[in-house]
Amino acid sequence: MTGAEVLVRATDLVLGYAGVPVLRNVRLEIRAGEYWFFVGPNGAGKSTFVRALFGLVTPSAGELWIDPVRGARQRRAFVPQRSVVDPSVPTTVREQVALGLVGLGIGRKEAGERIVQALEQVGLGGRLGDDFWTLSGGQRQRVMLARALVRRPTLLVLDEPETGLDFAAEERLLALLDVINRNHGVTTLYVSHDLASARRHATHAALFHGGTVEVGPAAAILTRVRLERAYGVAVSAAAFA
Amino acid sequence: MIAEFVASWPLFHDAYLAGWSIALLLALLGVVVVTRDQIFFGAAVAQASVLGIAVAIYVGGSPALARCAWCGDDWAHTLVGGLFAVAGALATAAAQPRRETPEAITGWVFLTGSCFAVLLLAHSPHGMDEINRLLASTIIGAGAVDVAVLAGLFMLAAVATALWSAPLRLVLMDPEMASAVGVRVAVWNRALAIGLGAAMGIAIHVSGVVFSFGLLVLPALVTKQLCREVGQMLWASPLVGLAAAIAGFVVANDRDLPPGQAVVAILCALLAAAWVARRLGDRLQLRARLRSTICRMPPWRR
Repeated sequence: MTGAEVLVRATDLVLGYAGVPVLRNVRLEIRAGEYWFFVGPNGAGKSTFVRALFGLVTPSAGELWIDPVRGARQRRAFVPQRSVVDPSVPTTVREQVALGLVGLGIGRKEAGERIVQALEQVGLGGRLGDDFWTLSGGQRQRVMLARALVRRPTLLVLDEPETGLDFAAEERLLALLDVINRNHGVTTLYVSHDLASARRHATHAALFHGGTVEVGPAAAILTRVRLERAYGVAVSAAAFA
Repeated sequence: MIAEFVASWPLFHDAYLAGWSIALLLALLGVVVVTRDQIFFGAAVAQASVLGIAVAIYVGGSPALARCAWCGDDWAHTLVGGLFAVAGALATAAAQPRRETPEAITGWVFLTGSCFAVLLLAHSPHGMDEINRLLASTIIGAGAVDVAVLAGLFMLAAVATALWSAPLRLVLMDPEMASAVGVRVAVWNRALAIGLGAAMGIAIHVSGVVFSFGLLVLPALVTKQLCREVGQMLWASPLVGLAAAIAGFVVANDRDLPPGQAVVAILCALLAAAWVARRLGDRLQLRARLRSTICRMPPWRR
């Protein structure tokens, strides 16, 4: 993977809100096909970095370069923690996935094909017309993933999508992401608090703490010493299971 | 009943057409309000518009403006009412959750509009009559210009909705995702606030508070119970609003009742029926699901 093209490059990047920096001097390179886990304590700047990737936070200094072709906005997709739709609002699986096509400017026929294909990818092929609210939490999260995949992204960003999911649903989601990353070559950025999953699935990791980021291969970054320094507490053996 | 309604057409056709245009326009825009669960927003914007009209009457009646030919004009009142409604809508849209919730701003706009409109015109018998007329809702005085403006606004809103249905639904349902895919959510919010404010401002001056607020929220609430997608609500809600407005005007004409209240009463009954239908539908579906689950279970587990 080291020879792959750079998709995202941060050079001495400073990010913050209202003049108050959250992240300083961030340097990292994300190459096509890599599977990154972003870990670190709450408020360490993981989500701020993700927001910057989508242009929602402007760098105060430094540069955040995203490949203008492979990483174009149309090729970037985002999966939130959970669906923020009000549960009293009527919506179907089809409508939710179709909303992922906004801004792509594709025709009705291709849109239909993409929706079916994305749902099949996440194992919900026959649920197109189902009421979104009759699905389980794990299935809804897979619909959110299909909404991202329908864009046929080169860069897939997930912000703690395991929140609220039980163990089995989380495992299914992670297995699915492995397939998407390995078989389809989708560069994946997964923001998570689950250190054990990070060690099992990530090729690379970014450890956010104290306003800085340590980056590198997952095995080199997700060590007990580094994690304990970042979190300020003893990291349990379960995190290394 | 129908024949009597047809007979009343030459006398009241402008009022009917204006009422139906308002029904189509506000029922469509109401999907935005209902999807965002901002029901009270409509009431607040309505009261802001009433305050605007009160200000226009108060200022227009001052001796300093005695020579101003158009200051006391009906359309000057509509314009100022519309501007106040837009300002109220924008104030609510601009609320930042960290500092103040949209509900708090909405409540403030509603109460400010309600009390200052009355206080401003407390010593003006004509002004108070106008405010009471607006609050009571009467559509009989609508004219051809009102019909043209309201129908034009509906056509504009319908075309915009048809062109931008998907980004609109994404902004309404998941603004964070909308931002992530490049939709300018702040611009959308401002545009929606201006559209809602302007439509409510004009509709209230033509038809009053009860009719406008009722048409804004009730058809969308009915379709929320019956539709499966927000996309369906966008075309079903105006149809429900129009059907209720036609039925309400026919009933009001037959029974000699106030048309605005008749339409809103029909919509209230429809919403109650939709709630019951939805509840029954959910129960039947649940039973069907239970039945299919039981049927699929192996005999030793039944």
